[in-house]
Amino acid sequence: MNGVAAVARYTLLELSRRRILLVFFIIGALGIAAIGAALKIVSVTSPTVVSGGFGPPGSAQPDQALIDRLTELQFVSQLIDVIGFFALLIAFAIGMTAIYHDLESGAAVGIFSKPVSRLSFTAGKVAAALVAMIVIVGLLSLETRLVMTLFGGGLEGALWVETVAAVANASLLMLIVLALSTWMNNIIAAVVAFVYNGIAGVVVLLHTALDAGSLGNNTFIKAAIDIGYWIVPHHLMSDAKRQLARAEFDLFSASAQGQGGPSLADFVNSVPGASSVQDIVWWVFLVALFAALVYLAVRRRQV
Amino acid sequence: MAAVVSVEALRKRYRRRDPWAVDGVTFELQPGQAFGLLGPNGSGKTSVVKMIAGLLRPNEGKIALFGSEPGNPESRAQLGFAPEDPDFPKFLRASEVLDYFASLLGLDDGERKRRIPETLAFAGLDKERRQVRQFSKGMKQRLGIAQAILGRPKLLILDEPTADLDPLGRRDVRALIESLKDSGVAILLNSHLLSEVELVCDTVAILAKGRVLKEGSMAEVVPEGRSLEEVFVELVEASAPKRDQLPSFITDADVR
Repeated sequence: MNGVAAVARYTLLELSRRRILLVFFIIGALGIAAIGAALKIVSVTSPTVVSGGFGPPGSAQPDQALIDRLTELQFVSQLIDVIGFFALLIAFAIGMTAIYHDLESGAAVGIFSKPVSRLSFTAGKVAAALVAMIVIVGLLSLETRLVMTLFGGGLEGALWVETVAAVANASLLMLIVLALSTWMNNIIAAVVAFVYNGIAGVVVLLHTALDAGSLGNNTFIKAAIDIGYWIVPHHLMSDAKRQLARAEFDLFSASAQGQGGPSLADFVNSVPGASSVQDIVWWVFLVALFAALVYLAVRRRQV
Repeated sequence: MAAVVSVEALRKRYRRRDPWAVDGVTFELQPGQAFGLLGPNGSGKTSVVKMIAGLLRPNEGKIALFGSEPGNPESRAQLGFAPEDPDFPKFLRASEVLDYFASLLGLDDGERKRRIPETLAFAGLDKERRQVRQFSKGMKQRLGIAQAILGRPKLLILDEPTADLDPLGRRDVRALIESLKDSGVAILLNSHLLSEVELVCDTVAILAKGRVLKEGSMAEVVPEGRSLEEVFVELVEASAPKRDQLPSFITDADVR
């Protein structure tokens, strides 16, 4: 246990001194502040721009409170994507360096000649990487929460759950990069993980389209997509997007009373919902699998 | 007396089609003994010590480190290993590296507070505040030796410990080896500096192409009236074709 704690502690200290993480964090923090400030300025100076696409033509313009609410919805919607994006960048930055640099620089020679098992080393590295990821993404979320006060609030729950989902998705990607970087160059490892992540996104998208009946009923295509779906990670999602859609619908209904339109159920169902229990179990399985692969790669590594 | 380390018919190659990097090496090291492992570049010395430290896996043969396998972390608790080209987590400072390694050794707070400043002072790094990435090769080598002695090992492996050190640093390492030997610590020394080996080692083995060409006490290996260097050159040259002479563009007077 001492070994795990020591490896984790000094890996965290090293990560905190890496400029690349600091740069990503600063860009993320400035980006979030800029998006929030820009939307606030636009919503105050030109409310029609914010509400322009909102409601059918000829509908009555909503009042300022509704515009603020809509702006917040748009802000949260964009922020969810921004946090997810930065979580992935941070996953690459940590995954490419946390173990690879020790192995390649020769630092591992000194470490492995001490009475520490490869399992403790791996556990310490993975623990530190996860803590670093949670801290950085958590700080970005906290900043987002503060910026949200500009618009009134009320969607904090959606933000926190989406932050957890972003950390979960990024953690899995980070484990893939960590595992690959123990037996190949870290840049190649990142490219392979990036491609795999991209393919996973496409496969999940195809599967969603298949479920919605958009891809017809070809048995072969269905089987191929189903198989593909269960060999790639499924990006975890919170209910945030649906909550946003529901809130937008409520606002839409308020500003377009009596003018008809889609039903709430149709509108909300067209937006992807929270991940199922199956998806979460699949995520847990993949995390365990890739953590085990990181360990096996470290264990077989000769330095 | 139980051997500190015992190596038996050790063989190692890095790829299936490669020649053996280490081929049938056997020796034992007793407490208080200083053993010199000599050989030209690529003779397998570093591979041998890395297998003893549990960093490489042998293809064949046995290693017993304090009676158990080197892969077992417990057996490495009494080992100090200073690698040939040491490196460390590059964003840490020297004191942090030693604190990290002291934690891995399981030293408590009191021992860490006592040993780390003294070890840093011995290595001449006590006033150094820069991160390891800004260290020179010599400073890294000093830190490599410092981390190796931090756990007060019963076996100290030094792989080319003085290669990047200045004369004062070399003198300090020689004094360290003598002092540890006197207190019963076994020393395994890999070095190209034959005069140094001659000064501190009781026993030597000369390797070439992974095989032991000659092994024994210093008196057995080096007959009276000859130097270790003469014996070494003779043995190594006999086991390999003589190297080419200097390049012609160096010796040819007409070339400008």
